[in-house]
Amino acid sequence: MSQSHSHDHSHDHHEAPAGAGLKVLAVHDKHADGRPRVRTVQVARPESEDTSFLAATAKGLGITLKHFARNLFLPMKKLATRAEAGAPAEEKYRNDIETVQYPEEKVTYPERFRGLHRLMQRDDGAVRCVACMCCPTVCPAHCITIIPEETRAIEQDGKVRIEKRPAVFEIDELRCVVCGLCVEACPCDAIRMDTGEHARPVEDRARAIETKESMLGRGIHSTATQGGEGPNWRQHAGARGPDEEQDPHH
Amino acid sequence: MRAPTMQARALLLSLLATLSFSIFAIGCGKEKAAPNLCDNQVAGALQPPLTDAEQARRRAVCPAIQAELGSPADARQCEPGSSILTCPAGAHCNENGRCELACVADTVDRCGGGTCTAEGRCVERGWLWVILDFPATKWVVLILLLVMPLASILTWMERRQSAMMQDRLGPNRANIGRVKLKGILHFVADALKMIFKEDFIPANVHKGLFALAPILAIAPVFIAFAIIPFGPTIYPHVFTDVADSSLMAQNADAYRDAIRLQIWRVDFGLIFYFAILTLANYGGTIAGWASYNKWALLGGLRSSSQMMSYEVSMGLSLMGTFLVVGSLEPGFIVEHGAVSTMSAANPANWLWLWQPVGLVLFFTAAIAETKRAPFDIPEGEPEIIGYFVEYSGLRWGLFFLAEFVEIVFISAVITTVFFGGYHVPYLEPDGFHAFGQALRLPHGVVVLLQIGAFGAKTFLLCWFQLMIRWTLPRFRADQLMNLGWKILLPLSLANVLVTALIKLLTLN
Repeated sequence: MSQSHSHDHSHDHHEAPAGAGLKVLAVHDKHADGRPRVRTVQVARPESEDTSFLAATAKGLGITLKHFARNLFLPMKKLATRAEAGAPAEEKYRNDIETVQYPEEKVTYPERFRGLHRLMQRDDGAVRCVACMCCPTVCPAHCITIIPEETRAIEQDGKVRIEKRPAVFEIDELRCVVCGLCVEACPCDAIRMDTGEHARPVEDRARAIETKESMLGRGIHSTATQGGEGPNWRQHAGARGPDEEQDPHH
Repeated sequence: MRAPTMQARALLLSLLATLSFSIFAIGCGKEKAAPNLCDNQVAGALQPPLTDAEQARRRAVCPAIQAELGSPADARQCEPGSSILTCPAGAHCNENGRCELACVADTVDRCGGGTCTAEGRCVERGWLWVILDFPATKWVVLILLLVMPLASILTWMERRQSAMMQDRLGPNRANIGRVKLKGILHFVADALKMIFKEDFIPANVHKGLFALAPILAIAPVFIAFAIIPFGPTIYPHVFTDVADSSLMAQNADAYRDAIRLQIWRVDFGLIFYFAILTLANYGGTIAGWASYNKWALLGGLRSSSQMMSYEVSMGLSLMGTFLVVGSLEPGFIVEHGAVSTMSAANPANWLWLWQPVGLVLFFTAAIAETKRAPFDIPEGEPEIIGYFVEYSGLRWGLFFLAEFVEIVFISAVITTVFFGGYHVPYLEPDGFHAFGQALRLPHGVVVLLQIGAFGAKTFLLCWFQLMIRWTLPRFRADQLMNLGWKILLPLSLANVLVTALIKLLTLN
């Protein structure tokens, strides 16, 4: 059995290839400056390496038995410890298994994780989207389909108000590359990707298409200004960065 | 009310009652006590007088017996089950260690309605006894209740255990509705998948041999189970009583209806195992040849060369145990242990203590025989895939299953030979005896405990084989041959020599 078998993997396998124990028999080829390029070496292997199976086997069995017993009898580590790389919390009397059992166990994603899309709502629950076609334009995957329509509403002062809104707003989640450009492009805070959910597994492709209704169902009321109306959310937002406040354009 | 129906029911019930009663009444038959024909006084008084055939048999068999008849009554002429201390052919050894000739088969009926066996034994057996004692019945019980469940569960256990050893979870998902059982049902899923896969046979293979090979791989292993005593001898008549060891030794009538939980009791038992299991090797070799695939052929060749190398030391490593016990019959080894001064239920009397070198050597060679890591050269998944590279579906499944049945079989052999077989430590036929205390148990409880002990020991050894398989990396071909020919073979020869020397020195 080779040497790599007989030693524990936790230490000593950083020997330089031409370290001690290698006897140079001949140098076949040299660099211009005289450094050897090809050497024939004699590898010093212990004569008895083939007879040391039993001790090495016993040692290896000890290691695997330790892991097996720990993992069989001790409870799993807490999800947080398993899920986060480099989480400290070396709890005592827990086993070594790191597996997260999705979907029963779910890891909380980072705050800025881009998940399933959602469409935000106006005060009256209607879709905020004005079908400006910015997002289908910017989308590199061409996964957004918007068919606009007009709305007519007679205001209290008798004016007829005509607006644009999407009759159809569909996103094919199988095509989406989750780049987030649609969210960047949206001038109305109408589309967001902050649901923290994956695109769901589906049994046929048609079911992977998110409709206006399904995305609106995940949406909530947005307080952003729209069409010059409504409160300026920038003034009401509590936590603003200092850079933004000093920006002369605002 | 429909009276006829009631009557029919009553009739049916009474019939059933009668039937079950008669099953118990007839129950299991007995070996009949019969006069010894070799005794001249007995033979002279017989009616009808002895026939020519009987006289001829007496002349052939009796002088050897009578030479010993004059010796003290407690002197043993023979040892039941032994291959060394035997009676002349045609006579049999009774439980007291005396040779007897009670009848001669196919002549006059001396057994009073019973049948006469080839070794001159009078037997009267009920049909239930015949069914229960029929080898096929035992085989079905052994295979369906112990071997197949264990082998199937091993297919799951191997993946789960290897996962545990590598800090993973392993397959834990297969379920029927809400029944999950930690994933044990994965073997059902596997079996279903293999059954419903297309039975694909490549165009250029030798079709007959291609189909034969998986059967050749699995059938010998099942056959070899015939020699394994998987439980103690059962005495149906005293199932609820405490068995009486002294009566048993005197071969009292109540103990003559024994059912041995061993399919085939044969003097050359372990030799039979070597011979039969060698046939399984043809499965791999023929699969490799018939597949018409160079990788499969390489696998088949490697398989046969490996088997040849390791079978030698496998047989020799067991020779020491033969020398110690004096029998090749697994049942005899289990019943007697290493020495006669200790009870066979004493763990110190099991052969692991008497043949530790033989145990390690045999275990190593036996693992090599299963063609699993670290001896999986014939498969060699990263390079040649192995002799079953062209197989798929259930045909491949048979190879796979054969491997696991072999694991169970080897565990059963090692349990039988080295770890006291079905014996529970300090459990005698009538209960526990340890530290001067005795806890008497009914015969039925003892039997169940002992069968359970056999299963538990076999299971533990299976587990240990999986531990080895997932701990050690694969040998190179040259290392494999070095280990087989330069280490195992000399060591097993030395083991035989030393054992024989010790045996010689302690004999006199």
